[in-house]
Amino acid sequence: MKTALTLIVAITSQALGNVYLTKAMKAITSTDSGTNDFVSTAMHTASNPMVWLGTALLLVFFLLYSAALSWADLSFVLPATAFGYVLNVAAGHYFLNEAVSPARWAGSAVITMGVILVSRSSARTIKDEGELLK
Amino acid sequence: MITALMIAIVVLGGSGGDVFITRGMKQIGEISTVHPRRLAGIAIRVITNKHFLTGIFFMACSFFAFLAVLSWADLSFVLPATSLSFVITTLGAKFILKEEISRVRLAGTLLVCLGVALISLP
Repeated sequence: MKTALTLIVAITSQALGNVYLTKAMKAITSTDSGTNDFVSTAMHTASNPMVWLGTALLLVFFLLYSAALSWADLSFVLPATAFGYVLNVAAGHYFLNEAVSPARWAGSAVITMGVILVSRSSARTIKDEGELLK
Repeated sequence: MITALMIAIVVLGGSGGDVFITRGMKQIGEISTVHPRRLAGIAIRVITNKHFLTGIFFMACSFFAFLAVLSWADLSFVLPATSLSFVITTLGAKFILKEEISRVRLAGTLLVCLGVALISLP
C-alpha cells in the first residue's frame, strides 16, 4: 500500500513535470525562433517559472523513487514506474494536443498489462540484508 | 560500432546506476517517517552514501552518453534500444541484489520492455 501510494505520487509528478517542461521549452523556442543566440535562450529558460516547476516535480519523482527503493525491490519498482510512460503519452495527448500513433497506444496497453503483472508479485523478496549492508 | 558502444554505455550506466542506488538506499534502511528533521538527517546520510553517489555517477555517464549518441543517431533508433535496460536491470537485481524474480514478475517486465520499445517507435 505504502509502495503503491509512493509510486503513484512519483509517476504523477514525473508526468506533470514533463508536461510543464515541454510547455515551457516550446514557448521559449517559439518566442526565440529566428534568433540563434544560445545565451539569450539559456537566460529565458533559467528565468521561466514553469521550467523550475517542471524541474522541481522531476526532483520529487526522483526523491520518492529513491525512498521506495529503501524498502522495495528494484525489480518491482523499476517496471512499476514504467506506467509513467503511459501517463506521459496520455498527458501529451490531452494537455499538449500531441498526435499519438496507434503504435504508441498499443505500447501503452502492453506496458499497462506488464505493470499489472509485476504489481501482482510481492514488493519485497529479500529478507536478509546482511550481505548488502557491508 | 561506436553507436553500439554508446548505447551499451547508456543501458549499462542506467542499470548499474539503479543497482548502486538501490544498494545505497537499502543500507540507509526503510524510510518510514515524514518528520522534517528526521528526513533531513536521512537526506544527509543518503547524499554521503558511497553506493548512492556511485549510482548517481553511473546515471550521469549514461545521460551524457545518451546526449552524445543523439548527436549523430536517430532518437527513434536509440530510445527503443534503451528499453533493454529493463531486462538488464532485472538481471542486476537478481544476481547482485539477490532479489527473487518470480515468473509473473519476469513476464511483466518483458511486457514493459516490449511496450516501451513500441512507444518509442516513430
